[in-house]
Amino acid sequence: MQCDRAAELIGAYLDQELDADTRRDVAAHLGGCPQCAALADDQRRIGRQLSALGRTPAPEHLVADVRRRLADASAEQPLPRLLARVRGLRWLRQAAAVLFLCGLTAAATAVLMSRLAALATLEREVAAAHVRSLLQDSPMQIASSEVHTVKPWFAGRLDFAPVVKDLAAEGYPLAGARLDYIGERRVAALVYRRRLHVVNVFLWPSADVADSAPREIAHRGYNMVAWSKGGVAYWAVSDLNMAELRQLQAQL
Amino acid sequence: MKERTRFERLALPHLHAAHNLAFWLLRNRPDAEDVVQDAYLRAYRAFDDFAGEDIRPWLLKIVRNVAFRRLGDQKRASNVISFDAAVSDRIGGESAALQVAVEGPSAEDILIGAGEQALVRQAVAELAPIYREAIVLREMEAMSYREIADLTGVPIGTVMSRLARARAELRKTLTRIMTRDESDAM
Repeated sequence: MQCDRAAELIGAYLDQELDADTRRDVAAHLGGCPQCAALADDQRRIGRQLSALGRTPAPEHLVADVRRRLADASAEQPLPRLLARVRGLRWLRQAAAVLFLCGLTAAATAVLMSRLAALATLEREVAAAHVRSLLQDSPMQIASSEVHTVKPWFAGRLDFAPVVKDLAAEGYPLAGARLDYIGERRVAALVYRRRLHVVNVFLWPSADVADSAPREIAHRGYNMVAWSKGGVAYWAVSDLNMAELRQLQAQL
Repeated sequence: MKERTRFERLALPHLHAAHNLAFWLLRNRPDAEDVVQDAYLRAYRAFDDFAGEDIRPWLLKIVRNVAFRRLGDQKRASNVISFDAAVSDRIGGESAALQVAVEGPSAEDILIGAGEQALVRQAVAELAPIYREAIVLREMEAMSYREIADLTGVPIGTVMSRLARARAELRKTLTRIMTRDESDAM
């Protein structure tokens, strides 16, 4: 065995960590090599010195410190465990959230659809009422351009007092008025003329308190403008072009 | 609660071993005490994972992991760039080594000729952490190479070469210190 190889193994030899064959080889080498034997002696001495150092003892308070930390830890442990348990149910909460969202969406859709359906129904009813008025001999039950004749005529026929304006000065003379039936209620119908066109303006107390901007609707060739103002729902409908219909709307 | 009693009964008897390892790795008492407390807390929380019969290697493994993490943090904090952690620990290690040296003998120790111990302590303190660790586990905890290998997570051959290297370094350092002291004396 070479010296450098022996030097590598001396530590393990002294620690008795070598297999029997290698141990015998190293022992044989040390027996015949004073230099390596001296090295082994040095290492043996250093080993003794190291063991003699002993452990650097922990300060006395450390035991108490550690125990306190452990006590604190076990005191707070129920919380993490609880959290873990809740976390275990995460899928349940997620499922609940998904279901809730589904329900919400369905409800919102149902509300929206019913409102859209109601609006579509209203559109059809308004258009039908307009057309029906034209099928009669006269669209008016009371033919008068006089506001103070028309307005009192509604009294006792409706549960509200409609606003009646003569817009002759603006080019939309009032022709008269009649009662109609839209959305399962009696409504006031004011009839205006624009050249040869007849304009029906239906109005009734609105469920919506807030005023809403005019909405333009085209329905089977008829133009409609729907809005609400001062708690009253207005529907103006005519075969008049939309621009002129909007002009009328602006005056009401 | 019962769990904690069991853990304390098993783990607290090894507090000195844990502290000793932490002390030699960190080379100062306050850090060592912190590391021991952290390690015991971790061990307690991971106590379910402990299945073996001897708790000491399991416990010391946690201690050395916490200690090495702390050393890494210190190294980053002091912004020392390490090309070879095994060697470069010497950089800036001198003062810590001296601190360890003065930790050692009391006045009486020196009177009875244990000044030598201070030199040995200094020599160990000057080793790089992985060599210090190998020396502490082998010489102070009297662990087998197999146990050290399991604890540090390296092959037995590596344990053997680390110990050989550590002892060679110790011998060199002790020779250097002693000759220096002799020349100082003259």
